[in-house]
Amino acid sequence: MVVHIPILIIISPLLAAFLVLLTRKYKIILSIASLIASIVFISIQSSRILYGDKITYHLGGWQGPLGINLVVDELSLFFSLIVLGLGLLIVVYSIPERHYGRTYYFLLLISLSSMIGVIYTADIFNMYVFYELLSLAMYLLIAYPKTGVTLRASFNYLIMGGVGLSFFLLGVGFLYAMTGTLDIFHIAEKMSVAFNSNTRMVLMSFVLIATGMGIKIAMFPLHGWLPDAHSMAPSPISALLSGVTVKIGIYVLIRVTYSIFSAETFFTISSHAILMVLGAGTLLFGASMALVQTDLKRLLAYSTINQLGIVLIGLGIGTELGLIGALFHVLNHAIMKSTLFFCAGIMIAEAGTREIKGLSGFNRQQPAITFAFVIASLGMIGIPPINGFASKLLICLAAIEAGYTVLVVIILVASAISAAYYFRVIQVLFSSPLEHSPIPTHGEGQVVHRGNFFRAWPIYILTAGCLLLGLIPALGISLVKPAVGLLLSHVVP
Amino acid sequence: MGSSKIIRTIAQKLFPFIVLFGFYLISHGHLSPGGGFQGGVVLGTAIILLALSHSIEQTEKKFKSRWLNMLEKLGILTLIFLGFLGIFLGYSFLSNFLPLGNPGQIASGGLMLLLNIAIGIKVAAGVSVIFYALVRYRGEI
Amino acid sequence: MNPVNISLLVCMIGLYGVMSKNNLIKKIMGLTIMNGSIVLFFISIGYRKGGLAPILEKGTTGGNPTTIFVDPLPQALMLTAIVIGISVTALALALIVKIYSKYKTLDIQQLSKER
Repeated sequence: MVVHIPILIIISPLLAAFLVLLTRKYKIILSIASLIASIVFISIQSSRILYGDKITYHLGGWQGPLGINLVVDELSLFFSLIVLGLGLLIVVYSIPERHYGRTYYFLLLISLSSMIGVIYTADIFNMYVFYELLSLAMYLLIAYPKTGVTLRASFNYLIMGGVGLSFFLLGVGFLYAMTGTLDIFHIAEKMSVAFNSNTRMVLMSFVLIATGMGIKIAMFPLHGWLPDAHSMAPSPISALLSGVTVKIGIYVLIRVTYSIFSAETFFTISSHAILMVLGAGTLLFGASMALVQTDLKRLLAYSTINQLGIVLIGLGIGTELGLIGALFHVLNHAIMKSTLFFCAGIMIAEAGTREIKGLSGFNRQQPAITFAFVIASLGMIGIPPINGFASKLLICLAAIEAGYTVLVVIILVASAISAAYYFRVIQVLFSSPLEHSPIPTHGEGQVVHRGNFFRAWPIYILTAGCLLLGLIPALGISLVKPAVGLLLSHVVP
Repeated sequence: MGSSKIIRTIAQKLFPFIVLFGFYLISHGHLSPGGGFQGGVVLGTAIILLALSHSIEQTEKKFKSRWLNMLEKLGILTLIFLGFLGIFLGYSFLSNFLPLGNPGQIASGGLMLLLNIAIGIKVAAGVSVIFYALVRYRGEI
Repeated sequence: MNPVNISLLVCMIGLYGVMSKNNLIKKIMGLTIMNGSIVLFFISIGYRKGGLAPILEKGTTGGNPTTIFVDPLPQALMLTAIVIGISVTALALALIVKIYSKYKTLDIQQLSKER
């Protein structure tokens, strides 16, 4: 069985998704059991992978460029741990919501399974299919409440995401036309020949794939769908979108640029510089737009754009330290942003309003949740004992090392702006309550949050993660470092 | 309902042939153009033709949408189960464990025929379920 | 003009439709046109001049090395891509039906004014 672990990790949520549709009672147990099974499977193999062993699985027994391979290396392990860990917490967080039916869990499991599919597959067309499956599930999950705003947000996301994935597929077509194979590692072998004979087509496919993924990860001029989609979705789905789904785009970007295209492609069109400029633009734009928001979840959505800018800067710097910082920030942002969205879900349900002003005096009602919110938002700003600081510091150090001092200034300015908007929220949380009653009355069918086990514990676990990674950053870096080593071993500077 | 006797009779007589053609496409998918998806769609259109020529209530009595829903899920679960069978028998996921026959014969594709049948069932049920959903939609939500 | 260039041109037409039209259905049409152009692109990659359909029959075997087949892989890929495109379109149209029943308009300018 040990040999089959890569496919079992993908299949176990997929199987559970279709079994969930057949039962009514056991939907939650099934989904949690399947995700725990996947986590057990991956943790059996994780130590082996971290010591530099690459697991390759031939689907259907067909090897090489003929069949589809699943490859689990350090980078895929890192991203799949984020997906599975947060996916489990998100399922747990959705339990108290009684009106989430079978379809919700079906879509959630399908999306998680296809995310792992994107991460593990070594076949680039298969990657597209999994990504499209993931996107379909996400569009439906955003529109799950079927209110007007969610439908509009989902439609916007569908249009932008459809265009982005079409670009990606067009880029895949150019790759196939040049190399005649779809396996990532075989494309990489034939890439240097293709680059010398057909430079323009290589650049074209790189630009198309990067643009497509740029839409998916909300790079600055292409971010239009993100604030609506991330803020209007139900809270667990917001956490999934902001914490996990966006990271899949970053994974594909990293995988495609570092594993397929060689360093020559970068330097021909100086894409490092473009990535850094776009990252800085994303950073400043997200920060300044978040400053003017009055809606709590919309503020968090713009804050996602802000933090993604930092990741893009780290990727753009491209040195070892910069990549470690970027990947570590991916992990930190996933943890912190899901904490914030989980807290925001509770706050909005308790206060009955999405406006930040309406949250005054929340500290009196639920001090523990407020504490978690404060910890995570301090991490977002980059205050030392929390994990966001460590990764931001790494990226700043990398920028200084590579000689881009301007970037440090930009990151510091953006951090100051994010301090401004997060402290605005925190101030409201601790202020004295307005005239309305401190403990709201609960309507029919509404979730009671006070002391709710399933709502509180995911938040506590994630907050503990924030503090742990902040106090001992070596834990996260030890997970990230092998992945960066793998990436840089392909690149000839 | 509204359709004339000619249409009803022809549709009724045509129904078994369309089903036969669907099964042909499914079972010969590994030898000639066709396959699970295409054959499944043909099977689905057979049900749609019956529903359009006769009344929809009458068709729904014969092909209950509850059973079609169940069949759709069973199709995909069969596919995954066949994949797992490869693991249990000591090969890898979805790999062939049946003997390969002579090329050109119906039993030459190994597992491919079974996979095509599973997909065909799923697609046929799915197409007719979608049709029922569209018919029942009355403009209001 | 070879088919690759034509398909890229069609793709740009679709992109124009997605970006500039105000009607939601026309946007979806643009998306479908983009999808169709990608199908054309892949099929023209796999095309070989004078190639036969890649089906193993009695007449085409027999070790004749000069027989040319078209590349079957892009065609197989495009079957998948067409199905995905259909499902995206169907989902988008379902969303449009819901949006129309909520707001009684399909114009994106008016929709963005609504709260």
